[in-house]
Amino acid sequence: MELTINELKNIRFFESYSDKQLQTILAISSIKHFKVKEILFEQYDELHEVYILLSGCLSMGISIAGEKRIHLGTLEEGELFSWSAVFRPYISTAWVMATCPTRVLAIDSEKLNQTFQNDCEFGFKTMTKIAQTISHRLSDTRFQLMNQLII
Amino acid sequence: MFDNNNIYKPIKARLTDVITESPLIKTFVLAPEHEFSFETGQFIELSVDGIGEAPFTPSSSPLITDMLEVTVMKTGYVTEYMHNLKSDVNMGIRGPYGRGYPVEVFEGKEILILGGGCGLAPIRSLLYKLESMKDKLEKVTLCYGSKTPEDCIYKPLFKRLNNIEKFEAFRTVDKPDEGWTESVGVVTTLLNRVRININKSIAIVCGPPVMMKFGTIRLLEMGFTDNQIYLSMEKNMSCGLGKCGHCMMGEFFVCKDGPVFTYGEIKHNPEIWK
Repeated sequence: MELTINELKNIRFFESYSDKQLQTILAISSIKHFKVKEILFEQYDELHEVYILLSGCLSMGISIAGEKRIHLGTLEEGELFSWSAVFRPYISTAWVMATCPTRVLAIDSEKLNQTFQNDCEFGFKTMTKIAQTISHRLSDTRFQLMNQLII
Repeated sequence: MFDNNNIYKPIKARLTDVITESPLIKTFVLAPEHEFSFETGQFIELSVDGIGEAPFTPSSSPLITDMLEVTVMKTGYVTEYMHNLKSDVNMGIRGPYGRGYPVEVFEGKEILILGGGCGLAPIRSLLYKLESMKDKLEKVTLCYGSKTPEDCIYKPLFKRLNNIEKFEAFRTVDKPDEGWTESVGVVTTLLNRVRININKSIAIVCGPPVMMKFGTIRLLEMGFTDNQIYLSMEKNMSCGLGKCGHCMMGEFFVCKDGPVFTYGEIKHNPEIWK
C-alpha cells in the first residue's frame, strides 16, 4: 500500500516539510514490511536506505565479539534510523530487529543525497534532523553508560 | 504543620503497613496521631526512635490527612533499618517542610512529567493532586524509566493512569527481561513519542541526578524555557529547617527554598547536578 503526503505530514520527522519536499521523499521511497524477529540490518552492514518507523516495534542494539547481541533500546513510531546510509562509509553502527510485524518507510539514500544538490534548503533541513537524531542517540548512550557506572 | 512548641519534636505515627515496591524500595503506610496535611512536593522528616531521621517526600495523596505514605529506597543506615521494620510500630514525623509544586500555575496547561527510579515517589503524590484538578488541565503525560522491570515501582499505577481521561503514562527500562513488552532505553527515549504543545506546557523532572541532567537538557532542546521546567532537588537535606546548612546550593537552602525549583532559578549553580 502506498503512502500519501497527508500520512507523511503526520510523521514527526516530516512536520516542517513542504508538500513539494514530501512529494520528493515519496518519489524516492518505498514501504517495507518485516516479520517478527526479522533483522532489518546487522551491525557493520553497508546501508543504502534510511528508514523511518511507520508502525510496529523495533529493537536496536550492538553485537560484541561478533556474536552476543546487546539490546540497547526500542525505536518509537516516526523515528529515523539507519542514518549511516547517508554518511561515508555507509556502514551500520548497530543492528535493528523487528519484534512485532513492522512497517517502515525506506528512503533511497543515494537519491536522497542527489536531491540535496538540487534543493539546498531541503538538504539542510533533512541533515539538521538527522544530526539531531544522532545527537539524541549519543546523549542517550552517555546517559545509559552513566547509569551503568552508578551503583 | 502540627502546633508544637519544639520544632524538632516529631509527632507520633503508627506504621500500619509496609509494601515492597522493588528489591530496594518499600512504601511505609503511616497513620499520624493527628491530622497531617502537606502540599504536594513538600517533604517530611521521618524518624525511628533511637536510630535517626531522614527526609522524604510523601508519595500519597495530599488530599488525605489521616494517612501518609512514604516510599523509601534503602541507601544508608536509617533507611536500611526502616526496611527491616514490620507494621505496628511507632515512627515520628516532622514537617511538612519546603516549597512544593505550584499547582495553581499548572492550570490550563499540558503537564509533562519525567521520572526515574525512586523519583516516582513525589511524582505519585503530584499525580493524585493533578487527577483531582484534571478538569483544569489540558493533558498529563508521565514518562518513567527504571533500570529493570523489577526496579519499576508502583506497577498498578500505570494501568490506572492510562484509564484516566487526559492522562497517559509510558514506561521504559534499561535492561528488559523476557516478559517485558514496553520500551527499552533510558527515559529520554520516551520523549520521542510525546506530542505536546510546548508553549502551553510545563515539564516536571524528578529522579537521580544523572537522569535529571539528561532529562532537562532534552526538554530544553525540545523548546521548553528555563522557567517551564520544574526540578525536585531532593538531596543533602538534613534538618529541614534551613539551620544545619547541609543542603545549601548556592544562595538557596534546598530544604527551605525548595525542594521544588524551576530550572531558571538554579541553573547557574555549578552544583546543580552533583
